Amino acid sequence: MAEFDSGALVKAALAGDDAAARDLVRQLYPLVAKVVRAHRPRRTPEEDLCQMIFIKVFQNLAHFSGKVPLEHWVSRIAVNTCLNQIAFEKVRPEVRHADLSEQELAVVEELSTSSGDLAPDKKLASRQLVEQLLEILKPAERFVIDSMYLEGRSVEEIKKMTGWSAPLIKVRAFRARQKMKQQLEKISREQR
Amino acid sequence: MDNQNSKLERLLYSASQARDERAISVPFGFETRVIALWRAGAETVTNNGIGTLVRRVAITAAAIIVVSTAAAIREVRQAEETFNEPLGDEFAIADSAIQNEFSPQ
Repeated sequence: MAEFDSGALVKAALAGDDAAARDLVRQLYPLVAKVVRAHRPRRTPEEDLCQMIFIKVFQNLAHFSGKVPLEHWVSRIAVNTCLNQIAFEKVRPEVRHADLSEQELAVVEELSTSSGDLAPDKKLASRQLVEQLLEILKPAERFVIDSMYLEGRSVEEIKKMTGWSAPLIKVRAFRARQKMKQQLEKISREQR
Repeated sequence: MDNQNSKLERLLYSASQARDERAISVPFGFETRVIALWRAGAETVTNNGIGTLVRRVAITAAAIIVVSTAAAIREVRQAEETFNEPLGDEFAIADSAIQNEFSPQ
């Protein structure tokens, strides 16, 4: 979407043009849905969260200065909404051996017994295991791990998305990794 | 520790390979719902403007009530102090004046 188009659509939507507002939703939906899928709190449905984000976007549309691209502005609102929503969900104190499915336990077993990459058929189970481990982290730590390791974003990109400083992002990633390692080790010990 | 690092790295790498393959499409009626809620929200904001005014008035009134209550309490206490002042000297002076007046020289 060209910058000029976004600006024109924003102006028209603010002037009460519903068709322009609909166009904005349609054009921004993939971006918002992508952020939501990556950072969605586990207990909030994707569509509900997307709706919440769009309403915030429209409510603040009059404050959009146009100094940054509309997509950046919207993605920052989306990220902050996801983080706030994650904060509402209580952080889980720990993940126990008994909480894991057979497939997830097989992943833990393979991590302990082999040193190479996990088998391709374990991708989904490892993703589920990581999601369980993410629940013990604080919202900001969860966001950093999601972005850095699961989405493959650079520190610079995360900085742009959140407005956090690079050292803060690195410290959060370090702390999150420490917690995840400890938890993983605990599960491995329980399994033995 | 290296072993733990390696385990976590491998786990995260494997998890990152499990991509969400679901297609992204705008759910049916989503735009209409968002726009309706936005417009309804705008009305709520206007109402909230009145609500804010009422809230401010209430806060100001409460502050005035608190200040005036404090002032009244202070006033009452001061009055109590005046009443409770020992009047012994005044009585003694009056008593001695009466006695001087009426006592035979």
